[in-house]
Amino acid sequence: MPIPDAKEKWSGRVNPVTIGATKGEGGTRGRTVTIGGADGIPFLDFDGQTPHVPAIALDVLDVAPTEWPQPLAEVYGDVWSDPAAWARRVKELGADLVNLRLISTHPDEGDRSADAAAETVRAVLAAVDLPLVIWGCDVPEKDQLVMPKVAEAAQGENCLLGAATETEYRTLAAAAQAYKHKLITLAPCDINKSKQVNILVSDTGFPLTDIVIYPTTAALGYGMEYVYSILERGRLAALSGDRLMAQPTILDVGYEAWRAKEARAVGGDAEAWGPIEDRGPAWEALTGTALLQGGADLLVLRHPRAMAAVRNTIRQLVTA
Amino acid sequence: MIIFSERINGMYRDVRTAIQERNKQVVLDLTREQLAGGADVMDLNIGPTKTDPIKAFVWLAQTVHEVTDKPLSLDSAKANLLLEVVPKVRQALPDTKLVINSCTAAPEYMDKLIPLAVENRTGIIGLTMDQEGVPGNVEKRIECGAAFLMRALELGLTPDDVYIDPIILPIHAAPKQQMNAVEAIRQLAIVNDPPPQFIVGLSNVSQKCLFHKLLNRTFLVMLLAAGLTAAIIDSADTDLIDAMITAEVLLGKHLYSDDYIKAWKMQKGL
Repeated sequence: MPIPDAKEKWSGRVNPVTIGATKGEGGTRGRTVTIGGADGIPFLDFDGQTPHVPAIALDVLDVAPTEWPQPLAEVYGDVWSDPAAWARRVKELGADLVNLRLISTHPDEGDRSADAAAETVRAVLAAVDLPLVIWGCDVPEKDQLVMPKVAEAAQGENCLLGAATETEYRTLAAAAQAYKHKLITLAPCDINKSKQVNILVSDTGFPLTDIVIYPTTAALGYGMEYVYSILERGRLAALSGDRLMAQPTILDVGYEAWRAKEARAVGGDAEAWGPIEDRGPAWEALTGTALLQGGADLLVLRHPRAMAAVRNTIRQLVTA
Repeated sequence: MIIFSERINGMYRDVRTAIQERNKQVVLDLTREQLAGGADVMDLNIGPTKTDPIKAFVWLAQTVHEVTDKPLSLDSAKANLLLEVVPKVRQALPDTKLVINSCTAAPEYMDKLIPLAVENRTGIIGLTMDQEGVPGNVEKRIECGAAFLMRALELGLTPDDVYIDPIILPIHAAPKQQMNAVEAIRQLAIVNDPPPQFIVGLSNVSQKCLFHKLLNRTFLVMLLAAGLTAAIIDSADTDLIDAMITAEVLLGKHLYSDDYIKAWKMQKGL
């Protein structure tokens, strides 16, 4: 008796989203990065195709970090006072994209002006030809001043701008649309809100096909399974034909993994946890590779060893 | 749920007159209204007509097709009329998806109309009744539905193209028959994998009732919970459509969002 084919027949697929624009496309990037496009469960080649493997962005802050632990300081400490030099380092390390955080525009972190932020963006664009992901400081009133200037400064470069939320989406969506960038929509670990933000953003006239979903992120041991489950449900909705959930996803793995005490702690009990130089990259890599299985399309990481480990896992998953 | 629009039906006076006078505008306007409400399939019924019924059917199909590529359902209780009409509409509209509405589970009807569906690449609606009439219970409905489905699959149709109609009767005339229909759908959905489609002519339930719209939408929700996948309805009845979408969200067919009704419309491009 033949074994019946129990494979799901999916009616939908994840939208492919391209970030960056080359000279021929009106920008100055050396190449573009496309994420998404899958029409099946991640890495199950009998279920569907993964035309674009997950991409990796490395973090660049617009101001020298004060609380990054030693293993990260060893990689970036000599360049982190200059975002352009830091971006060059990120490119040397082999990142697919630069993930630029304009945290110094935060009212409590320096309160730098929108013009200063735009200047930083121009400097980073001039320093490297990688596509950019650009985040504000997560204070809506300030981001509404900063992000339109940033969007204008990066006009033509097809950046990915973050992040529109259920209450704050009009300014960012308008800026992204006016200057032809892609947009991140954010709903903290809530799939129903995630869909709602996409409805609201789409209502402003912003194309659903230019959106990337940020479901927020939690590290291994700190609620990662909640995010995993949100990713998984979102991906199943996309594959089932829900166009409002068919967007690829970005996960902020580095930031969350390096907040974990397992990644940072020295002395005391932590002495038994293994060398500090290994723990952070391992925590980051484990969080990242787990979330890949749920449907992460773009991972933001920090340590080059974590990036190498995640890439190695992706390679094994797509060629196995 | 697949929405079959019931509105292009000669039982409505405006449509009957439009068919007699070949007044395209009335049909085009109604079609646009039904599409705007979310209709997926346009059910066409010429109703009682003094003109040549075959010509009337083809005219109606071509007229509706002027504004939409969506599937057409050719609705008549007369098997002999369908035998003539279906090939003519197929010839006139070679690429349009068609559904034959309807055929009973009486062998002489199945032997005529199921091959007609296969030959003309159409779907078909099978009523859960045979030569003995509409069953008064669940069991006979299941027997007829199963017999129709089996015959249709044997002759080469796919479950997606077979719509089982458990026959809806008016609540004031046959008060026990509503739950019989619900239960027939529920049981037929359990025993058939993959299941066929399940369809009803919804407004039969509320014929001559004062609160007909409330009856329609309450009954639709009950039927959906039992496994209904299609219904012949007035898609311009927005309360009905909203109740349908809400039921589908609660049944887990769509991911909830606060604007889930808008989401459903965006999804359909409305």
